[in-house]
Amino acid sequence: MQNTNGFKLIKGERIIDAKGGEVLERGAILLDGEQIIAIGREEDVIPPEGAKVEEIVYENKTVLPGLVDCHVHLNGIGDGRKGDQLNLLPDEVLTLQSAKNARTHLFSGVTTVRDCGAKNSTTLRLREAIEMGITVGPKLVLAGRPMAIIGGHLWWFGIQATGPNECRAHVRQLVKEGVDFIKITASGGSTGTSIPLRPSFNLEEMSAIVDEAHKFGKHTAAHCTNSQSMINALDAGIDTIIHGVYNEPDGDRSYRADITERIVEKGVFLNPTIHQSRERIWQLEEKSQNENLTLEEIDELNITKQNHEERIEEVSKMWDAGVKIVCGSDSAWANYKMGRFQADINSHISIGMSPMEAILSATSLSAQSCCVDDQVGTLEVGKNADILVVEGDPSKNIDDLWNIVDIYQNGELIDRGNYI
Amino acid sequence: MGYKNVFKLIKCSDLIDGTGKRPIKDGAILLDGSKIKSIGKESEVVPPEGAKVELYDYSNYTIMPGMIDCHTHNNGFGDGRLGEELNLLADEILTLQSVRNLRASLFSGVTTIRENGPKNFTLINLKKASDDKLLLTPRMLICGRPLSIIGGHMGYFGSEVTGIDEVKAETRNLIKLGADYIKISATGGSTQTSFPYRHSFNMDELIAITEEAQKFGKLTATHCVSSQGIVNSIQADVDMIIHCMFKEPDGSNKYRPEVVDDLFQKGIYINPTLHVVRSTIWRLLHKKEEIGLTDHEETLLDSRQRDFEIHLKNCTKMIDNGLKLITGSDSSWSSYQSGNTVYETECLNIAGLSNMDSLLSVTKEAAKSLGVYDIVGTLESGKEADLLVLNKNPLDDINNLWDVKDVFLGGMLVNRGSEKSLKSIRQRRPSLN
Repeated sequence: MQNTNGFKLIKGERIIDAKGGEVLERGAILLDGEQIIAIGREEDVIPPEGAKVEEIVYENKTVLPGLVDCHVHLNGIGDGRKGDQLNLLPDEVLTLQSAKNARTHLFSGVTTVRDCGAKNSTTLRLREAIEMGITVGPKLVLAGRPMAIIGGHLWWFGIQATGPNECRAHVRQLVKEGVDFIKITASGGSTGTSIPLRPSFNLEEMSAIVDEAHKFGKHTAAHCTNSQSMINALDAGIDTIIHGVYNEPDGDRSYRADITERIVEKGVFLNPTIHQSRERIWQLEEKSQNENLTLEEIDELNITKQNHEERIEEVSKMWDAGVKIVCGSDSAWANYKMGRFQADINSHISIGMSPMEAILSATSLSAQSCCVDDQVGTLEVGKNADILVVEGDPSKNIDDLWNIVDIYQNGELIDRGNYI
Repeated sequence: MGYKNVFKLIKCSDLIDGTGKRPIKDGAILLDGSKIKSIGKESEVVPPEGAKVELYDYSNYTIMPGMIDCHTHNNGFGDGRLGEELNLLADEILTLQSVRNLRASLFSGVTTIRENGPKNFTLINLKKASDDKLLLTPRMLICGRPLSIIGGHMGYFGSEVTGIDEVKAETRNLIKLGADYIKISATGGSTQTSFPYRHSFNMDELIAITEEAQKFGKLTATHCVSSQGIVNSIQADVDMIIHCMFKEPDGSNKYRPEVVDDLFQKGIYINPTLHVVRSTIWRLLHKKEEIGLTDHEETLLDSRQRDFEIHLKNCTKMIDNGLKLITGSDSSWSSYQSGNTVYETECLNIAGLSNMDSLLSVTKEAAKSLGVYDIVGTLESGKEADLLVLNKNPLDDINNLWDVKDVFLGGMLVNRGSEKSLKSIRQRRPSLN
């Protein structure tokens, strides 16, 4: 046999392969090096005769694919600071922070992340360093710098493009540098100079970006915090809509069933980033247990709560309408630190998903949206052995995803005590 | 009582305070925040009445000050690659490698380092991130970048300067960027465009640098792998000589007792970097053992072994002459990886320092040589609580410094991670020798 690392036979009380079917009771997975070569009921998974096999038995535990977080900002610190401040840090510091976040997320069970916007070449350098063995991290699906208009959301990460030609040139440059997909800020956002209730790129620019990306086999994801930006993104042929908030230019929140219908029709993924605001609610509520909130904080708490409720209602409708909703934390943006992806998975329960559906949204479906489903996201023959082992049964109680026992990355057990 | 802080009371079997005094049996240290409040025999160290106290019982262990490594290259890999190759990597990569090295040092018990030569802004920005508490590192004293002549040693890191005005301007620039001291390549070195057996800066340039540094209260240190660099450094009033190799322009070895006398008279510290020479020998011996050596490598091994013997002998003479030899590893330069500082202390021990003096070379004397003796280097009331808990007493055997149980940095117990990851830092001794 052409086997260098030896076989591993992982047996679990339950296996969730994340293909959408039933939980497999008393299952086993056979690994050859970094690959899954067999999976099934314990008695059906038999290593080749005479092969050296390391057997690992997880009694009373659940084995599932490593989690796939389709929306992170590795540069972020998650201490509430605005991007307008964050981007002022030198590239070296942002790279260090990215390495720290990557490690934290990996050790929390996330074996693949899609980074939706970082400054200059910081995340690309991080990937190089991981490949060199300097530091550890999940598999990285990278946008590099996001595409923004002048003054648009995330412009300070390095790209402000105007006109189809410039847009195409930037996409080509990013592809040349090795990015995996193109992130577009199709509306304004928290960036001070941007206008969140209005679209940013014109349709011809959006189309140029998406066409150019697709030409090279790269997918696209657009930040959209208003309805018009979603329409533009859909018209341009976008692959994932991020946030997807139904805001009108005057700030009115009115649900647009017609747009939802188009999202479903076109099979576009939605990454609603529901927990981001709830994390802040939790923080303020926790703070109020021990000390009095300031007047500003009380206002912030009330507004955030109201927004969050509206958001749940909106996304629930989209889920009911059949939108492919994928889980992406948006950490470590704003107040959401990395290593807490499970909180975002949990938030999918509040829009009506079953625990199993929430798991799929954070594994197989999320991997599909990141175009890495040929390698990760499910436990099946031929896929990378990125495997999570947890205490309990997350298909019944989603919060069992927090109870990490072991994590395998490419077939290797991760040393979660490695801080070097 | 109105004590807000929770005090930490640390008890141990042998307490080495690092002043040079004999260890205190059944000692104790009381910490208030990051600082040492009191230290002495267990019976004498009593927390204030009513104060909250957290107890750390190390009754079977030895405690000593955290180690201070006066010479690191955190950008480096310690895998034998040349500086020229290292320099080709992106700044972000070098920064990530640096933090890896810094953690390796910290986890091995080094609580203060002085950085001797990184590229561009890598360590300047890394120190900012550490100051902002974005990551945990040892205390850092940085040079920013080493000053070099055009084509001189480590010139590729970003500070090549010529003439009095330029050297002064770059000294000011580095200080503006946050340099804690000024590192100068006073001779060539392993940099291929440099001349190791010749001095680099002219006398007037060297003096201009040291004067400018002294004006701002900054220390200076010169890289000297040949004698003229040492002579010039003495004349320019440099505070520390690094390597301190006695070589003539033709490459021949000639120990210079009169130069050593001058070094002694002026109280200049010496950082002889013995193990970095030995690290190449060890790398080659490992290779010899595993796959064998080429003719070229055999020649290199012979020559390095000769260099090491000669340098070791010179170090013994310098010790006998009363010079202060300080532990500074030079890792991760050449084949010497961070987290293995003790190999250098061991070399000084072999050269003739007593176990106590070897220990002081990596604590008290190192702190003095770096100008941080008021903060660290000994365990005394008022100083920062940087300390090591060791399984065995290093005064019995200096290699007991390897056997670290716990590390405290500024009063905080450092989470050093898994045994497996700690083992991965350690470089092996060759079985051939």
